[in-house]
Amino acid sequence: MSGISYSEILKLVAPEMLVSLAALAVLAIDLLVMREAPQRYRFWTGAAFAGLGCGLAIAWLLAMNPPPHSMSAGLSLLQGTYADDVLVRLVKVALLVMTLFTLAISMESNFTDHIGEYLALILLATVGMMFLVSSENLLMVFISLELTSLSLYILTAFNKRNVESAEAALKYFLFGGMSAAFTLFGLSLVYGLAGSIQFSEIYSKLHAAKIDTLLLAAIVMTVIGFGFKIAAVPFHLWAPDAYQGAPTPSAAFIASGSKVASFFIFAKLMMQAFAGAEGNGAWRHFTPGWLPVVATVAACSMLLGNLAAIVQGNVKRLLAYSAIAHAGYALLGLLSNSQQGMSSLIYYIVTYGLTVLGAFGVVAIVEERTGDASISSFAGLGRRQPLLGLCMMVFMLSLAGIPPLAGFFGKFYLFTAAIGAGKDMGMLWLVIFAIAMSAVSLYYYLQVLKQIYVVPAVEDSRPIVVPVSSRIILSLLALVVVVLGCAPELLLGRLITAIKLASHQ
Amino acid sequence: MHIPLEHYLIVSGILFSLGLLGVIMRRNLLVIYMCLELMLNAANLALVAMSRFNDNLNGQIMVFFIITVAAAEVSVGLALIVALYRKRQTAHVEDLTTMKN
Amino acid sequence: MSDYLFYIFAALTVICGALVIINKNPINSAMFLVLSIASMAGLFVLLHAFFLAAVQVLVYAGAVMVLFLFVIMLLDLKEEQRRKINTFGAVTGVASVAAIGYVFYQSIRNTPLPNAVAHSEGDTVVLGKLLFTDYVLPFEILSILLLVAMVGVILLSKKDLK
Repeated sequence: MSGISYSEILKLVAPEMLVSLAALAVLAIDLLVMREAPQRYRFWTGAAFAGLGCGLAIAWLLAMNPPPHSMSAGLSLLQGTYADDVLVRLVKVALLVMTLFTLAISMESNFTDHIGEYLALILLATVGMMFLVSSENLLMVFISLELTSLSLYILTAFNKRNVESAEAALKYFLFGGMSAAFTLFGLSLVYGLAGSIQFSEIYSKLHAAKIDTLLLAAIVMTVIGFGFKIAAVPFHLWAPDAYQGAPTPSAAFIASGSKVASFFIFAKLMMQAFAGAEGNGAWRHFTPGWLPVVATVAACSMLLGNLAAIVQGNVKRLLAYSAIAHAGYALLGLLSNSQQGMSSLIYYIVTYGLTVLGAFGVVAIVEERTGDASISSFAGLGRRQPLLGLCMMVFMLSLAGIPPLAGFFGKFYLFTAAIGAGKDMGMLWLVIFAIAMSAVSLYYYLQVLKQIYVVPAVEDSRPIVVPVSSRIILSLLALVVVVLGCAPELLLGRLITAIKLASHQ
Repeated sequence: MHIPLEHYLIVSGILFSLGLLGVIMRRNLLVIYMCLELMLNAANLALVAMSRFNDNLNGQIMVFFIITVAAAEVSVGLALIVALYRKRQTAHVEDLTTMKN
Repeated sequence: MSDYLFYIFAALTVICGALVIINKNPINSAMFLVLSIASMAGLFVLLHAFFLAAVQVLVYAGAVMVLFLFVIMLLDLKEEQRRKINTFGAVTGVASVAAIGYVFYQSIRNTPLPNAVAHSEGDTVVLGKLLFTDYVLPFEILSILLLVAMVGVILLSKKDLK
């Protein structure tokens, strides 16, 4: 029993408990009390309870000191099924904030009558992500990954009036199932070779040994599995369809929260458990290990994501391909394989998540008002609804990496970390490639902005009416993107201290 | 116990490859699900065998969880197929082509 | 004796697995899947994982299979006749999977595998104790996962009244 009682465990997982309780409360209230109420009231009540749960969890995470067992470092309990340190808490707060924003941008859409279920599933997916972030055990990684994915499949299929939604969910499900099978097979081999499913024990068993071919196979399979989850080429095929067919708020959630959690645990698994099996990813110095595998995946993602995004006519699809490209950039942080790399990865993926949430928020409103999400339906948005146009401009430019927005600083920091990594700037080839590709990406982001500001609206040029709540939320997101770009140390400083603390364990 | 771990791993590898082949080649969504189950079960077999030969029970615990998760996943997957069938009267992958750019 | 049993069960598992993907009729595929999984339960017994063998049979033959058959009947799927197999796809598929299998086989060959003297018996008591001590957290998460699946399945397969 490793010396810990059930009540202590309960206290430890309080944030997750709060969110799950909020989910149950939302479900119960919506189904029992609010059944007959008009849709708006149902949504507001449900979202209020959901928001309350998330808010309490955030407050708990920020206010409570890390458990007394270890004031400075974190702790890892129950065979590593629950790790808790400052860094993990920070990522959890980021996840909860993204959940809050997802709830907020769902507010105005009416694609479903099952509001209680929708909100509850978003919360339960968040619970999965929170557990995922704090797992240091292969079993826990698998279970929480499945909880997250299962909720996301259902959220994707939520629009029952639309065929595309069901189809998108099926594709997402099929690829997700494949990914689960690959991850599992890889992890089972890791377990076989290390004799343990705990990160720290795997590390102590494997770091000294020479890299066997079977271990290499296991690593490749694990990378394949996570490659599906983070939508990196060549495992990206589900992403465009899933983003396009899913209800827009669900797509936003898939693109933000689940990305953050998957990237974090992927990096943790690689850097902690497989430290010692890196190999070498430097140009012309490839040696087997996970670095060259991840480097190849990153290069392919940047290339294909950016090139395919150029020809897209649907903004949701465009954002999907841009997400693939961004997965490629973010992998650079993992390739740095250092503390600096880790902090740059988290900073990048968190700011990316917030930006893309905002972009999807704008898309949701435009889609709602004009009927579809094709690029041409954004025509004249700058005049029809100046605030929305301005927000979209901020998001697009941040995604393209224009200073002084968060996207620019994120990329800058990623690239510096990658250049500094390894001997003789071995990752330089990939960084140069990434910079070239971000120049390409500017083209398609500007394409969207051109529609918004230059091309006049063809059919309907009346102003778009947007409720005050949506305006506040989108402006808030845009503000966050600007502030994090101008003052990156707000987040980055905390990240760096947290990573330092966490590594002193 | 005379059968070495190697043999179990080979059986599990064959099963995994068969499942993967089925996922790639078959067109019926239900059969694809079955092949996914085969792949998961290949992992299960590997885990149980590894658990035996590493002399700890972690692998078996993991299999217990995988079986439960697989059952939940199948139920959701089948519900998705039913939802799609209601709209499109099809359960074939080639017909999943509503979304083209 | 148990050596022969291994080969019998292993052959059954693999052959039935192959028949799952070869059969044209989904019902037959489903049946062979059960057979494959049941013979795998036999392998579990040989590995002293008694509890898992029972769970495997119960869950797969009892629950998953019924679900599959139920949906096949519900959708009234016919045999796959209307479509020809895409030869190019089939060849590349077989080739790539064969390559993966070969790499895997070679890596098993070339890697020293663990070979501990096994004492661990996978009976219910031991597993149950582990589930409620070290692995109590994932166990509880499973309950959330089942809740998600339940909500999702009801929501997706229910007809909307409007």
